[in-house]
Amino acid sequence: MNGKRIMAAALAAALLAGTTAAANAQSDIKIGVLLPYSGVFGGLGKDQDAAIEMGFDDFGREVADRGITLVKADTESKPNAGLAAVKKLILRDKVDLVVGIISSGVLAAVRDYVHGSETPLIVTNAGNVDITGERCSPWIVRTSFSNAQIVRDMGPWMAGEGYGTAFLMAFDYAAGHQMMDTFREGFEASGGRIVGEAYPPLGETKDFGPYLAQVKAADPDTVFVFFAGGPAIKFAKEWAAFGMKDEVQLSGAGWLNSALYVKKQGADAVGTLGALNYYPSIDTPENHAWQEKFRAAHGRDGSEFGVAAYDSARLIVSALEATGGNTDDKAAIVKAMHAVEFTGPRGPLRIDPMTNNVIQNIYVAQVEARGDSVAAAIRHTFPAVQDPPNGCTL
Amino acid sequence: MLLDPGFLIVQTLNGLQLSMLLFLLSIGLSVVFGMMNFINLAHGTLYMVGAYLALSSVRWFDSYWVALVLAPLGVALIGAVFYAVLLRHMQRQSPMRQVLVTFGLIFVGFDAVRMVWGALPHTIPIPAALDGSVTVFGEIYPTYRLFIIALGVTVLIALHFGLERTRLGAVVRAGVDDRRMVAALGIDVERAFFLVFCLGCWLAGLAGVVSAPVFSIFPGMDMSILILTLIVVVVGGPGSLKGAVVGSFVIGMVDTYGQVLAPELARVTIYALMAAVLLVRPQGLFPVSQAH
Amino acid sequence: MIGRDPLHLPVAAALVIAAGVAWYGGDFFRHEVLAEIAIYAILAMSLDLLVGYAGLVSLGHAAFFAAGAYATAACTVFFGWPVSAATVAAVGCAAALAAVAGVFVIRVSGVFFIMITLALGQMVYAYFFKASEFGKDDGMAGIPRPDLSMIGLDATDPQVFSALTLIAAFGVWALLRTVVGSPFGAMLVAIHRNESRVRALGCPVPRYKLAAFVLAGAIGGFAGSLIAQHSGFVSPDLGFWTVSGEVLIMVIIGGMGSLVGAALGAVVMVLLRHELSHRAFWEAIGLPADLASYWQFVMGLIFIAIVLLAGDGLYGRLLTTWRRLRRS
Repeated sequence: MNGKRIMAAALAAALLAGTTAAANAQSDIKIGVLLPYSGVFGGLGKDQDAAIEMGFDDFGREVADRGITLVKADTESKPNAGLAAVKKLILRDKVDLVVGIISSGVLAAVRDYVHGSETPLIVTNAGNVDITGERCSPWIVRTSFSNAQIVRDMGPWMAGEGYGTAFLMAFDYAAGHQMMDTFREGFEASGGRIVGEAYPPLGETKDFGPYLAQVKAADPDTVFVFFAGGPAIKFAKEWAAFGMKDEVQLSGAGWLNSALYVKKQGADAVGTLGALNYYPSIDTPENHAWQEKFRAAHGRDGSEFGVAAYDSARLIVSALEATGGNTDDKAAIVKAMHAVEFTGPRGPLRIDPMTNNVIQNIYVAQVEARGDSVAAAIRHTFPAVQDPPNGCTL
Repeated sequence: MLLDPGFLIVQTLNGLQLSMLLFLLSIGLSVVFGMMNFINLAHGTLYMVGAYLALSSVRWFDSYWVALVLAPLGVALIGAVFYAVLLRHMQRQSPMRQVLVTFGLIFVGFDAVRMVWGALPHTIPIPAALDGSVTVFGEIYPTYRLFIIALGVTVLIALHFGLERTRLGAVVRAGVDDRRMVAALGIDVERAFFLVFCLGCWLAGLAGVVSAPVFSIFPGMDMSILILTLIVVVVGGPGSLKGAVVGSFVIGMVDTYGQVLAPELARVTIYALMAAVLLVRPQGLFPVSQAH
Repeated sequence: MIGRDPLHLPVAAALVIAAGVAWYGGDFFRHEVLAEIAIYAILAMSLDLLVGYAGLVSLGHAAFFAAGAYATAACTVFFGWPVSAATVAAVGCAAALAAVAGVFVIRVSGVFFIMITLALGQMVYAYFFKASEFGKDDGMAGIPRPDLSMIGLDATDPQVFSALTLIAAFGVWALLRTVVGSPFGAMLVAIHRNESRVRALGCPVPRYKLAAFVLAGAIGGFAGSLIAQHSGFVSPDLGFWTVSGEVLIMVIIGGMGSLVGAALGAVVMVLLRHELSHRAFWEAIGLPADLASYWQFVMGLIFIAIVLLAGDGLYGRLLTTWRRLRRS
């Protein structure tokens, strides 16, 4: 790991001249938006893009007489393309800050480069535990979540609700294992027992049927899963079709019943339990106002992806206001972010100076039928959930 | 797990259902290869477009059954246009060039569906008549999946009789064996190619429609199925109807059971199986004699 | 194109000059792009040896790219080896992989070869995706660049590193040019043209094919080592089949069987991808900037057009035009 530090330092030295020399108090503040506009996560990228635009519309496109310009770059949902895109933003477009990143693979790829270039990066989704843990950086701030943060309290809670045995299932990749391992730890510590687990290969699973047959044979009290997007829709539907819905409680990291997918799962989703940092049904004036605005603009419920992106814009504007629009001293911007506190659509949040990860509420929600539609209703709130430093020494 | 009869029943049905889906996809690909000596890499794209057309049909007409009729026809139409505009003019060029054109179409198709239908995943509802589950040998199993199996078997039987009993079938069988000979007999091979190609596209579209209610519809659904289909074709022996049937069955079963019984190898089993088959039988399980 | 090829030297010279001009006075970003072009040119030329000369169309060449990249990562990060030694090890690893896999894959030909190499690539991809020692799907970071302080240079400077990769690309071109000009190269072409005749003459065809496969794999591994040093990061998607596909596209677009065509293809592909995915590019030509997110669509069309209109690739088209001009 020593080589990494030398490399980072050398990179920093090489790049400093390029980035700071370009900053100029009279010119616009340039913010790089690094999202997948194409590739598998293209849809989520556009969702966050729209919310970031909405955020800057609401909180200001000007700070201390300097306009804010957004420069967009496509990660194509691929780590190497993401790295090329962030280099382009920092070297070619000479942005002052970078905001975005959906996939943990891309975040892992750009981490060293961003760290070395000393450009503040505000992560709007990717939840790699180590980025605000072992591999944390003073330049990388996360407004979304860490994978562990989402599910940590869910294990003990499920055990407390009387579920004695669980079957774990997630795609076979780093995020999937991080979620499952964290859940297992809490669940077992509270007396629960894991009776089986399955990790289908990511992206190649065409059919959950074979795994459902496996779950059936294991006969657990609950199945705890982490699936998002298309697979989340598919899983809930197949779950019902295989007759599992009335026999085993389906639960998981909350992308299972998130705003983007739950309506497409329809009646099959009713009863599903999930834990997430945001649900549209959160009953606060801030959330109602935001949802109304988002629905008016896009004709559908705003999601946790939108909220994280929207809050990121607010965090950036607030921090820039605190530094008086000065972008020469990048460390001062990050420091200002630590002092920002506000209540957004998802509730109160602030950035943990120990890890640069967000401190926020995590909600447990259960899907219920509402008329001929469905929605996730909040059942429980874990307030101000904060990650332990996990080896981060900021 | 293997001793649990419930597991075996459900898993075998799952395997059969995947086999049938693969059969619908691989048969068109394989026969086209047998006759025209080129592999259509955009076959998965046709499958994806079939699923998306089904989505649109369901939105407009609010009926799965209309989609089941319209979407495969739409895909066949796209295939016909593709054949008329591009492939027909490339007949005399090296097959590799045709393969490359279809490779380029994968990229075009992927972005085209994103432009038209967006990048977020969609599903269509299972038709009311097939929604719910039935009990098979004491196990609850989704009715719709049984429908897929039945549909695959129906298509299999229809194709078998079509090939054995009809004039087009005779031309196809002869064309796979020796294309020049058929042409020399004064038969319009060109027209037979065209019809077979369109039929292959129709079947890919059909596979897309029937899988839409079970799997979610998203840009990129084409690639995973394409690679699996290619493996079926290669394992079975390109050009062989029997090969497509047996290949689909073998791959469908191995994939379904392998995922659960050897999860550590889930990504590798199928590829290893193909490599093994090719080592023992470099032309696939049921090689077609390549007289031309 | 194989055979009399009077233009390869002038075109190679033109590419070298163009690279030199682009490099000189380029900014950080241009140097980044140049390095990327050079690395993909190396990869494409190595694939061209297989596709254009030996007639083995491989859709799994990214396997060696990934193997070389991961070997470099492992040697530098785990063992603390100097980058030069790690590069040699990477080439060795890729060659070893090619030798083992080659024994199997060269037994089949045509579309079967495409399929089995695709399978090889996907198996390698799957291995790195699951290998916890290599960071699974998140990959590995912290790969250094060569230490050039002895000669007073700093390879972390994109200007220095891009020069290094350009020189490497030139070296690979010279090496491969020597190979295809040798009796060995002539034999590969002969096998490609009429395998049964060569076999009938008593030539050990499989041995020649295997040697070509190993050489191409080794150079692919070299390209992989460079990409690891370039990005300081490796991830399984380096070995994904789309990478193999894109490299094959480079070879086809540029024109196979000439080496310099493959390099030209790499230049075109990398530049196209950068421009087509850049919103400002679309704004500049008066089209909606949103097209930038559909760049694959545009690139697919361009690729199809090139396959249809210039079946021999850009270089082949150049050659035909030149011949016609000379005749008239």
